[in-house]
Amino acid sequence: MRKILTAIIAILAFSVFPLQVSALDLSSIKFPELRDPHVPEVEKVVLPNGLRLYILEDHTLPLFRASVRVNGGSYLESPEQIGLSDITADLLREGGTEKWSPDELDELIESCGANFETYGDVISCGLSVNMLSRQTELAVELMAEVLRRPALDDSRFEQLMLSYKASIDRRNDSPDRIGSREFSKLIYGADSVYARHIEYATLANINTEEIKKFHELLYRPENTQISLYGDFDSAEIKKLIEKYFGDWEKGEKPLPPFPEVKYKDAKRLVLIDVPGAQQTSIYLGHLGGRRMEPDYPHKIIMNNILGVGFSSRLFNEIRTKSGLCYSVYGVYGSNFTYPGIFYNYTGTRPETTIKAITKIIEEIRKMQTEKPTEAELETAKKRYLNSFVFYFTDKKDTLGRVLSYDLFGVPADFLEQTRKAIEATTAEDVQKAALKSLNPDMLRILVVGDKSKFPQPLETLNYAPVEELDVTIKK
Amino acid sequence: MNKTRMQLLYRLFLILFFTVSLSVSFAADSTSGFEKIKDSIVETTLENGLKLIILPRREAPAVSMVTWVNVGGSDDPKEATGIAHMFEHMAFKGTDDIGTTDPEAEKAAMKKEDILFDAIRREKAKGRKADPRVIEDLEKKFQKAVDEAFSYVIPNRFSNILEEEGAEGLNAYTSRDQTAYIMSMPSNKLELWIAMESERFYRPRLRDMYREKVVVSEERRMTVENRPTGRLYEEFLSAAYKAHPYGQPIVGHMSDIENYNRHDSEAFYRKYYTPANMTVVIVGDAEPEKTIELVKKYWLRIPAGEAARRITTVEPPQTAERTVTLYDKSQPYCMIGWHIPEGTHEDIPALEAMTAILGQGRTSRLYKKLVLQEKIAVAAGAFAGFPGTKYPSLAVSAFYPAPGKTNVECRELLYAEIERMKTEPVTQEELDKVKTRASVSFLRGIENDLDFAEALASYQQLWGDWRELFNETARIEAVTQEDIMRVANKYFTRDNRTVASIETEVAEVSEEGESK
Repeated sequence: MRKILTAIIAILAFSVFPLQVSALDLSSIKFPELRDPHVPEVEKVVLPNGLRLYILEDHTLPLFRASVRVNGGSYLESPEQIGLSDITADLLREGGTEKWSPDELDELIESCGANFETYGDVISCGLSVNMLSRQTELAVELMAEVLRRPALDDSRFEQLMLSYKASIDRRNDSPDRIGSREFSKLIYGADSVYARHIEYATLANINTEEIKKFHELLYRPENTQISLYGDFDSAEIKKLIEKYFGDWEKGEKPLPPFPEVKYKDAKRLVLIDVPGAQQTSIYLGHLGGRRMEPDYPHKIIMNNILGVGFSSRLFNEIRTKSGLCYSVYGVYGSNFTYPGIFYNYTGTRPETTIKAITKIIEEIRKMQTEKPTEAELETAKKRYLNSFVFYFTDKKDTLGRVLSYDLFGVPADFLEQTRKAIEATTAEDVQKAALKSLNPDMLRILVVGDKSKFPQPLETLNYAPVEELDVTIKK
Repeated sequence: MNKTRMQLLYRLFLILFFTVSLSVSFAADSTSGFEKIKDSIVETTLENGLKLIILPRREAPAVSMVTWVNVGGSDDPKEATGIAHMFEHMAFKGTDDIGTTDPEAEKAAMKKEDILFDAIRREKAKGRKADPRVIEDLEKKFQKAVDEAFSYVIPNRFSNILEEEGAEGLNAYTSRDQTAYIMSMPSNKLELWIAMESERFYRPRLRDMYREKVVVSEERRMTVENRPTGRLYEEFLSAAYKAHPYGQPIVGHMSDIENYNRHDSEAFYRKYYTPANMTVVIVGDAEPEKTIELVKKYWLRIPAGEAARRITTVEPPQTAERTVTLYDKSQPYCMIGWHIPEGTHEDIPALEAMTAILGQGRTSRLYKKLVLQEKIAVAAGAFAGFPGTKYPSLAVSAFYPAPGKTNVECRELLYAEIERMKTEPVTQEELDKVKTRASVSFLRGIENDLDFAEALASYQQLWGDWRELFNETARIEAVTQEDIMRVANKYFTRDNRTVASIETEVAEVSEEGESK
C-alpha cells in the first residue's frame, strides 16, 4: 500500500511539484545481465630468427599501431655507466638511421602526423608507433631502420647528454618529486639496479662507441616482441615484417637474468630536510611481492581495503576523518620479474607530519590485528569483480597482456584464475596475507620536508633512529 | 618509481603543453569517413534545458560518461576564490539520503556547525581587533559540532556505491572554464549512474564541508606552494590578467579557502548547476532511445533554471610589458604569454597553426633552434589557449634552459624566431605538416570513449554545438601563410606580453670569506 501511495505521490510530484519527490530508491534499479566482453583472439607468430609477433586486426579507425618490447634494460648497465640503456633508447629515435639523417627522420615522422617514440626502463626497452594505416609499410620500414640501423649522430648525442645533465640539475627542484626516487633506493639499496640513477660521473663514461656496443648486445630478434594492432590485413602485415625484419640476425649468447633483490628486514627512519618546503611527503613501506605468488589475489583485496580509492581505510582515516592530506594511497607492488615495493604515500602540512606517520603505521598494523569486516571485504571484492570488464575495453591492453604472459611464461588464463580466486577470498585469507606480507614493525620510512616546521622532532616517533640524508647533487 | 631521466622532463613538458590544447588535437580530416560517426550521434534537449549527447559504440560492454558544467574557477565570486573547485569536492559527499545514517539529525547538526563557523568568521573579520580568546572558545565549540555532524556521516558512501558496482576512473576536475565529472561503468549499470548522477546535482548535501576545506588547503599546498613552477603559474596569470578572473587561482587563495562557508558553496551551486548550464555525454554501449528515457526519468526531477550569464569584465588591452621573477633554489625556467582572443574567434586557427610551427614537435622552429642547433635549452614549446578558451586567453611559450644557459639567452632567440614569423612567410611544407598532424591527432583523440565524450562536451560548451568538433579540420585547413604572418604581427608584440621566470638564487654563504 505504501508503495502505491509513494508512486502516486511521485507521479503527482513529477507533474506538478517537481521539488517534492520521494527519496531515490536505488534498490529498485535492476541490472540486466552484462553481455560477455568479446575478447579478441591474438595471432601469435614466431619468425625463424626468433622475433615474436602478436597480431590483431581492427578496422574501426584507419590507424596502425605497433609496440615493440625488447627484453632487457638498465639492469644490464655497469655501475659506472648508469644511463647507458636509456640514452641508447633515446638516441635510436633521435640519432637518425643509415637511410635517414636525424633531421630527415624527424621530418618524415612529423609530416605523417605519426607518434613514434622509443623508451627504456629497468627491464625493457622499446618503441611505440601510431600512424595512419595507409602508411603501414612506411611504419614498418621506420621501425626496422630505427631498431636495426641507428646512425647514432654525434650532435644529437651531445644534445641528449645535455638533457640528461639538466634532468640531474633539476631533480630536486620540487620537494614532492624527491621522495619516490629516494624511497626506491631506501628499499632496494642505493646501488641496486632497480633503484640507482644517473649522476654526472656515470654520464661521463658514456659515449657513442659504448652505445653502439649496448645496441648490439640488446637489440636482437630473439629478444624482441612486436605487437601489431589496427587497420591492416594480417597476412599482409606478416609479409611486411618478414621483408623488413626477416634477415635480422640472431645474437650469440643469451642475456644475463635479472639480478636478485637482496633485502633484509630492518626498520629505518630517513629524513631529507628541505628548508622552505610547504608540505611534507611521506613514504612508508618495505619490499613487496611477486605476481605469481599463490596469495597474490588475497593481496589485491588486502591492498584495496588498505589503500586504494575512496573506500580504503587510508583514505577514510587520513583524509576524510582527519583532514591531514589531499593525496593518500597504498600500493602493494607485485611484479612478474622481481619483487615490487609495498609503499604508502601521503603529503601533509609540516605541522601534521608526525600525526600522519603515526596514523598510517596504525592502519598497516590494523590490517594484521583486525580482520576486515564483512562490508569491507564485500566492497573490495565487488570493486574488483564488477570492474573486471575494464580489462577488456582497450584492445591494446589485451595485446599487452598476451605479450607479457608469453614472455614471462604466465598461463594464458592467469587473469581468469585471479578473478576466480578473488571471488573465493575470505576475511581470513586477507588477514593471513596481511600477517604474512606486511610488517608494521619493520617499515622503512622516508620523510621529505622542512624539519624546522615539524611540531616535534621525528625522534618522538620512537620508531627507529633518525638518519638524515643529503641529496645534494654531485657535479 | 625512479624515473629521474630525460623522458620525465620531456613528458612533463608535453603534458604541460599539449594536453591542454584540445582544439588543436581534435581537428578532423574532412575527407575521411567521419560522417558515419557524426550521424550515429544522438542529441536531445530535455524540457528543463539539460543537453544530452549519446554516441553508441558497441565494442565492449562498457560506457563512459561525462557531466559537463558550464562553470569554472572564473565564475568564483570575490572573497570566495576556489568555490567552484570546492563545490566539485562537495559533489562527492553524497545527497540528502545517500551518505548519512540519519538525514534529519544530520541537518540539525550541520546547522550548528554553520552558526559556529559564521561566529568565528565574524570575529576574525574584525582583523586586529578580534579577540583571540573568543575565537579559541568558539573554535572548541565548533570542533565539537563538526564531530557531531560527522557522527551521522557514512564516509564516502556516494563513491563507494558506484565503485562497488564497477565504476572506473570516477573523478572530476575544475578548470577556469568548466567543471567536469567523469567515469566509466559496465554498461548494465547505466541506470544506476544516471540515477546517482542526477541525484547529486538535484539534492546534494554539502556534508563534512569544513573538514574538506582542510583537504583543499592541502591540495593547494601540494600543487602550488610546494612547487616552484606552481607558484610561478599563479604569479604569471595574476600578472597577465588585471581585470578578468582568468588571473585568479582555480584552487583559490588560502584566505578564501579558510573563509568561505557552506552557504557560499550552496549559493554557487544554485546559481550555476541548472540543467540549462549542463551537458551530459554518454559514449559506449548504450542504446540511445532507452538511454534518453532513463535520463528523462531521473534528470527531469531537476527544475529548469536560468543559464549562467557570461562574465562581462573584459581584460583591457595590455599596453606595457609585464615581468614577474621568482627567485628560488631551483633551476631556471621561463614562460611568456601574449593576449589572444577567445576560442571561437576567427584568428584562433591561424594562432594554433602559428604556435604549432613555432613550438610543437622536434621539427618546430624553437626545438630546432634552441634545443638542437644552439643547445641553449633542453625543451622549448608553444601553444595557444591558456588558461582557457571561453574568454580571451593567451598564447604561451615556455622553455627550460640547458645547464649553464640563461633565460635571457633563450628569450633572445625565441623573440628572434617570432620576429622572423612576422616578416617571412612560413613554408608551405610547415603549414601542410600542421594540417596533417591536426587531422591524425583527431583520430587518436577519438580512439578512447572517455576522451571522445569530453571532446564532444567541450565543443558543445564552447560553440553551442558539438558538431563544431568535426569542423576543426576545415578551420585549420583554411589557414594561409599570410594569416600566420598577420596574427604574428597582431598579437606577438612586446607590449602585449607577460614574461614570468624562475631565476636560480645563489645560495647564501654563511661562512665569511667564501662569498667571492
